[in-house]
Amino acid sequence: MSSPQPMMSGELCRTYVEGLGSYDEMCHRGGGVRGHWEHMIRSLEGLGPHALRERSEETRRLLRESGVSYNVYDDPKGMNRPWELDPVPLLLPSEEWSELEVSLIQRAELLNLILADLYGPRTLIRKGLIPPELIFAHSGFLRACDGVRVPGNHQLVLYAADLARGPDGHFVVMGDRTQAPSGAGYALENRTVMTRVLPSLFRDAQVHRLALFFRTQRATLASLAPPGCEDPRIVLLTPGPRNETYFEHSYLANYLGYSLVQGSDLTVRNGRVWMKSLGGLEQVDVILRRVDDNFCDPVELREDSQLGVPGLLEAARQGRVTVVNPLGSSVLENPALAAYLPALSQHLLGQPLRLPSVPTWWCGNAKSRQHVLANLRRMAIKTISRGDAATTLFGEEMSTEQLAELRGRINARPYLYCAQEAMVLSSAPALLEDRLAPRPVLLRAFLTARDDAYIVMPGGLTRIGTEEHQQVVSSQRGAVSKDTWVLASEPEQQVSLWLQTKQQPPQFDLDGALPSRAAENLYWIGRYAERAEATIRLLRGVLSNLNEVVEFGDKNHSRTLACLLRATTTLTMTAPGFVGEGAEERLDAPEPELLSLILDGQRMGSLMFNLQTMVNNAYNVRDRISADTWRVINDIEEELHKLRNTPPLTLADAQDELDALVTALSAFSGLVMESMTREHGWIFLDAGRRLERAQLTGALLRGTLANEQEQTVEYQIMEAVLVATESRITYRRRYRSQMQVKTVLDLLLLDKTNPRGMLYQLLRLQENIDRLPGERSQYDLTPEQRLILEAVTLLQLSETNRLAQVGEGEMREGLDQLLVRSSHLLESVANVLSSRFFTHMPALHQIAPTVRRT
Amino acid sequence: MRYRITHLTAYHYADAVSLSYNEVRLRPLDSDAQVCRYSRVEIDPIPNERTETTDYFGNHVDRFALQTSHDQVSVKAISEVEVKAAGKMDLGMSLPWDEAVEVLAKGGLADHLLAREFVLETPMSRPMSELREYALASFPSGRPVLEAVHDLMERIHTDFTYDPGFSTIATPLSEVLEHKRGVCQDFAHLGIACVRSMGIPARYVSGYLETLPPPGKERLVGADASHAWFSVYCPNLGWQDFDPTNCIMPSERHITVARGRDYSDVAPLKGVLFGGGENKLSVSVDVAPLLEE
Repeated sequence: MSSPQPMMSGELCRTYVEGLGSYDEMCHRGGGVRGHWEHMIRSLEGLGPHALRERSEETRRLLRESGVSYNVYDDPKGMNRPWELDPVPLLLPSEEWSELEVSLIQRAELLNLILADLYGPRTLIRKGLIPPELIFAHSGFLRACDGVRVPGNHQLVLYAADLARGPDGHFVVMGDRTQAPSGAGYALENRTVMTRVLPSLFRDAQVHRLALFFRTQRATLASLAPPGCEDPRIVLLTPGPRNETYFEHSYLANYLGYSLVQGSDLTVRNGRVWMKSLGGLEQVDVILRRVDDNFCDPVELREDSQLGVPGLLEAARQGRVTVVNPLGSSVLENPALAAYLPALSQHLLGQPLRLPSVPTWWCGNAKSRQHVLANLRRMAIKTISRGDAATTLFGEEMSTEQLAELRGRINARPYLYCAQEAMVLSSAPALLEDRLAPRPVLLRAFLTARDDAYIVMPGGLTRIGTEEHQQVVSSQRGAVSKDTWVLASEPEQQVSLWLQTKQQPPQFDLDGALPSRAAENLYWIGRYAERAEATIRLLRGVLSNLNEVVEFGDKNHSRTLACLLRATTTLTMTAPGFVGEGAEERLDAPEPELLSLILDGQRMGSLMFNLQTMVNNAYNVRDRISADTWRVINDIEEELHKLRNTPPLTLADAQDELDALVTALSAFSGLVMESMTREHGWIFLDAGRRLERAQLTGALLRGTLANEQEQTVEYQIMEAVLVATESRITYRRRYRSQMQVKTVLDLLLLDKTNPRGMLYQLLRLQENIDRLPGERSQYDLTPEQRLILEAVTLLQLSETNRLAQVGEGEMREGLDQLLVRSSHLLESVANVLSSRFFTHMPALHQIAPTVRRT
Repeated sequence: MRYRITHLTAYHYADAVSLSYNEVRLRPLDSDAQVCRYSRVEIDPIPNERTETTDYFGNHVDRFALQTSHDQVSVKAISEVEVKAAGKMDLGMSLPWDEAVEVLAKGGLADHLLAREFVLETPMSRPMSELREYALASFPSGRPVLEAVHDLMERIHTDFTYDPGFSTIATPLSEVLEHKRGVCQDFAHLGIACVRSMGIPARYVSGYLETLPPPGKERLVGADASHAWFSVYCPNLGWQDFDPTNCIMPSERHITVARGRDYSDVAPLKGVLFGGGENKLSVSVDVAPLLEE
């Protein structure tokens, strides 16, 4: 060995050996660096702690900006915890990996045969190779899935194994993931970030690439479509934005080119599965599911599930759709099964099991139970089913009473429990502030079926504990991830995900068929973004008027302010506010009400509410929002977070946040304009925005100018209206200092070129409506075309001279009527769009029980 | 005996149902004790899609979907079944119950291993210490298992009052035990849970019972009903049925439709629907004996 000592004496590694306990990935027991780490350590030391810290910051920034997140259930920090990545990868040498690959493939083959047997002949139970209670008492054994088969050679299509290395340096399996393994997408995202943060290191290290794995997965999923299906449509079924790994669902859907759908996007008709898209129903052939199997079909599985698709299981049973992994495959996620794998491997494969599991005892077996109860203190105890409270109990952490209680539970229903030897995990270097320290490490490896074999992702998702000698490493417990580098002996050719084929022109799939739910979400993003922006602009106008009242204290300013405050309530639809009961008091001291309008997320129409709703809608269509746009959404979320955590106590304090939010919202609309193709998704988003802006502009004009005011007051009001509509500069340039209702209406109602004006919105909305999908006859207009044409015409036929005229009761009746009528028409447009294009399902019920009983 | 069974179920909804998916277990199965000569299920309105399969427990399942708006559904199952008269069984021949438990634990035969599925608790037949206590009186050490169960059946029949107004499908066993009231379904679940609490496999059976008109009266058409009882596995004699509601060992007059771990495995009709609102349900069952040819 060539002088290992100097290497470990560098700045980064100086205290590393002090923390060593078990097997270490980087160091020999004596403290010398393992051969395959030498280059890495030399490079890291070369960079120095300072530069490394910068890379670490850069990593965090990249992950944050791409919105890579992980939801921790019941997290006080809120949803979407940022994904954490330690920039020092886990290194595995090629030769060791090849060994591991063979073992993983063997294990996948074995589990596949077991799965096929359990939902088929159940020979393994009949022959006594698997004790009946081990399967029959497991909540993942779904009798309804009996006999449902995936076409092709494998029932287990995707598989992941959680690997740990014991003190002897050998890998063991800590757990099997067989129903909807998560993490492959995070592994891919980690890799993407690493190649940006440490590009030269990555290049020099000759790391195996991941793309081929995903390409195989795509090919496999396509091959699993029901027979006779030429160009299969594949969707990724997600439980939705509240799921812990939702980020990954949208990321993978995008990367693999599948539509991201929720249960309500799919429907079973004529025995087949269809996606409800804007263009109608589109047949779905393969479903890559991230919904737990029990939740997938309320007809035959959990009847209270809102995440599933009624009738899905029967469609799969009839072979008209393929669900991957098949429903029921969570039966293999039974930790007690590990105790029987060696014998099953001999029986089914005629080979010894290459990759052992962590030593496991199933309490349903009398001898094993005795062993477990006698050694409870040094065991990790689990239930065989992953219930709602899936916890592992560690004997050594329990009190005598707790142990006695556990003993009682085990003796009452022994078959529900198993115990594993508490394992000391191997350690890998984690980057702390300015040095490396050993931390317990767990590696999730991913496999995918291919023709008659499996392939292993060369790499995986590595997670490290945050403390020394921790026993459980899981993302739910705040583990940090690492990229996993399998070092190739020679450089590898770059593979792209996309197959280059010459024979077929690429299929052009406009919009990738937009699910109706996605269209609806985009439409509401447009509406809420606009509503939020308009609220802020108006509030800023109100604030500056408020300051003037305080400064000058004259009556006219007070009256202007009162008028603007009333308009604010009307515009935000937050009555009573400044118009209803108790309005007088609030007008005298408007600050609390205004702060509530900004901050109260529970209050419909408040700024907080609008932005939260906008962000929630965005999460639902995450797969359709570009990385740059998502960064802006992130900024908005962060501002909201700030407002929630340290709410401003006065309006003056809120000003900065309001400015920041307006900037973010403008950036959002700019990005939407500049980077979204004009497909149906954009049309709905823009339609939402135009409709909302037209409505709000109308409401503002009606609230401020429909009643005549004293001239000075009216001047001030018009000034504020122009500010709120971003039109003051244009107005000044055009009309100098002549402030007149007529000219203000010219600019804000009828000017086709003013992007803040009402007619402009209506014309744009009309364009959008003309481009909506759906059959239309050559001559007849659709209902929404009729309505928008009427609104446009109404506006174009009006004359601002007349609109500005004041009639009886100091009312501008013409203006009032016009605005009422156009608002009504726009409301009708919104209703028609909603009922034509968005899905409306009445509530789902169980059929009432039938028996008349004797 | 031969029977023609007509089982009509109809729902009327207050609001239109736009879409529904349904599962029907109404066609009698074939077994050693009975042959189903034919059976069919008629559905109105005519479904867009229907399939027929056999489920995990060997029961016939008809599934159908209604995709067009409807405010009523009727499901009519018609079948002809020939039930064989069971020979007189000597319950004393069965293994002592404690020995049976040991034999089952040893495994060996596939039938024994598979029967162990029916020892495990299910949501509708959760064992409680009170249940085992109640059962114990019938299970002195060394008593042949089927004799013990027969005794248990007699005790249930004596101790419990038949009361159609007391329970619903959702009533838990603990309440049935506390008030000592219920209907066939409750007594079947009670028997199952008691037997299982002793470590013996038991399963739920749904079906019909031919009702005899009072002497001198005509048989009323459509006045029959669904019935339920339970079945117990004895390692040396196989499965044997017990009807605790009537305190008899089912023979020629019991027609089996389906079997499972508890009611939820054999519900005659279940499913989900969109819309519907309030509904009105009507059920009529007719078990007509046919003259032997």
